[in-house]
Amino acid sequence: MNSQNIDNKPAVKRETKNRIRVDFDRTPLKERLKAKFLSFYFLTKLVYWIFRLVLMVGISYIVIFPFITKIAGSFMAPEDFVDVTVQLIPKNFSLDIYRAVLTELNYWSAFATTFTLSLSTALVQTFICCLIAYGFAKFKFKGRNLLFLLVILTMVIPHQTLQLSMFMEFRYFDLFGIIKLLKGGGIEVFGHNIKNLGEGVAAFFEKLDILPDEIKWGAYKTARGMTKYKVQMDITQAGINLCNTYFPLILLSLGGLAFKNGLYIFMLRQFFRGVPDELEESAYMDGSGVFRTFVQIILPLSIPMMITVFLFAFCWQWTDDFYTNMFFSSTEVNLLTKIVDIPNSLKTEYAGQALYYTAIRNTCGLMIILPLVILYIFCQNFLVQGIEHSGIAN
Amino acid sequence: MTKDVKLGADIAAPKRRKIASLDRKKARAGWLFVLPFILGFIIIYLPMVYESLLLSFHKVSIVGGDAGGYTTTFVGWENYMNALFVDPDFVQTLVSGLGQMAFDIPAILIFSLFMAVMLNQKMAGRAAFRAIFFLPVILSTGIMESIAAQDILGEEIEEGGGIDTGTEENASEQLVSSMDLERLFANMKVGTELVTYVTTAINNIYDIVNRAGVQLLIFLAALQSISPAIYEACRIDGATSWETFWKVTFPMISPMILVNGVYTIIDSFTTESNEVMVYISNVYSEADGDVLSSAMAWIYFLIVIAIVAIIASVMSAFVFYSRKND
Repeated sequence: MNSQNIDNKPAVKRETKNRIRVDFDRTPLKERLKAKFLSFYFLTKLVYWIFRLVLMVGISYIVIFPFITKIAGSFMAPEDFVDVTVQLIPKNFSLDIYRAVLTELNYWSAFATTFTLSLSTALVQTFICCLIAYGFAKFKFKGRNLLFLLVILTMVIPHQTLQLSMFMEFRYFDLFGIIKLLKGGGIEVFGHNIKNLGEGVAAFFEKLDILPDEIKWGAYKTARGMTKYKVQMDITQAGINLCNTYFPLILLSLGGLAFKNGLYIFMLRQFFRGVPDELEESAYMDGSGVFRTFVQIILPLSIPMMITVFLFAFCWQWTDDFYTNMFFSSTEVNLLTKIVDIPNSLKTEYAGQALYYTAIRNTCGLMIILPLVILYIFCQNFLVQGIEHSGIAN
Repeated sequence: MTKDVKLGADIAAPKRRKIASLDRKKARAGWLFVLPFILGFIIIYLPMVYESLLLSFHKVSIVGGDAGGYTTTFVGWENYMNALFVDPDFVQTLVSGLGQMAFDIPAILIFSLFMAVMLNQKMAGRAAFRAIFFLPVILSTGIMESIAAQDILGEEIEEGGGIDTGTEENASEQLVSSMDLERLFANMKVGTELVTYVTTAINNIYDIVNRAGVQLLIFLAALQSISPAIYEACRIDGATSWETFWKVTFPMISPMILVNGVYTIIDSFTTESNEVMVYISNVYSEADGDVLSSAMAWIYFLIVIAIVAIIASVMSAFVFYSRKND
């Protein structure tokens, strides 16, 4: 009955508004409402709609709630942590924790260092992964599948497995044994350790200058026959200490080997596969080279996808503590992930100490991710869009 | 007949050569594009893997002082023996870690697929929900994970009854009481294993949501790429949405289920919160210069790669590839 009413649409297609109104007026209002709201179709829709809304809101609540508690805790004064009546809203509102984190934990210098590190590695990773993924997506060459399998392999072997050897690799960095050759090939003078090369950002460029100087200096001494410097280290283990510089992470990024780069390459490869070949064909016809086509036509097309990858790379580098703990053991390099500590002025010995310290640590965490949240708000549209247009399923 | 074929081949021959040269040119360009990876793999990665494998058969002692080198002594399988038979906790941690993985992976996969289907529908506030769901992907990694692990604020308060700054367990308990669910399932007369599985999954919902972000993104992208024409055809033929899901959506995204399955395995055994990983890195940091951790990591890695290979080969038998792919 009811469904009949719904289906009882005007038969003639071209209708004026007037005619439709006439049609509706014929069925009484009660009948029409009944037809609309008492049908099985409408009921199932309504139930589903409520179910979905509850589920969505519930899960959003689960995701957001830890952040809310962290934020609430960060504004509380120490007294609030022993007060039973205090729920989420602090009774004694205070900004002490924030003030202490900002002033005592060198927040701004850590922020600057982390920003430079994250930005440089993320940019390098985005570009390199684009290159590699484009190569895999658009060109056929022998061993392509094998190479791609190797990319997957780099993703499968956790870097924790390689922790020790990765540290050793960059602690005693040696490219093709060139440095070993320099040291072993008659230039014993050069045997002393170039250990204090560039610690931190300040020495970043200085470092690039020092190395050739040292080599010249070493050679000069040998020419004069002064070999009074002893070889202090085992020649086979000689190398440059790259720890406490950006180089380990940059080098890993340059090879497409940094954290989750396999995933980026996979995502970008799927995206590039979705780009129609005709675009490049016509560019080639017009005499554009392969690289020019890539830079001028393909890259501008893939900006949403690149922003997605950049966002991932940037944020994961920002909060990373595995690589930074491994490569930046020196206290001179101040990174955001290292500031999680209890400021001296907030050290207390009272009942709620443990909770208060937790709140301080949480606040440090909040301060660390605050820039990311801002970035995310601006970029989240690209994140979803980029993924949607990637057509990963193809 | 034969003559014709020969003639055809003769004509085709020069053409093929021309194409081949173009192919070669493109192949060269391809090599150039992939070059950074090849160089990185050969110069940085391979030595690293080789070194790590080699180190696991050695004892290392770091020489301090100005020179700062290290010396190694070959000890054969000793590290592996120590890890497997001498270390009291390793095997136990390994077994329970793998059990945890077997539990997590289906839960994460089902959850992310379900949520992707949900988020793919048109509804009010979809953009906001998406933004919230992807938040953990960006924010709950690295240092935040270790901060969250130390977050005793909730636990302490749960006992003492102070501020209700619930942690994850608290939040999920407020949402659904697992006791209620257990009762519900008991009435439905399903196996107890399933009941415990579902209730544990619901109690760990925070963890699952946190780790399902990337999978959710991949599923969402896969869903977006299914042509609406197929759904329209289904509707016209009178298929219900349930049938449409199992007959159309599911086969269409099955390659991505494989990808996500492999990704989830890899991800869940490399996260820092994984108990085996925690154990290995504890061993690494405790024993200065001891390479027991390297041996453990290799044992762990070999086991997991075996699991990945088995699961991938089993799953790929069920994967549906539309012809468009190749």
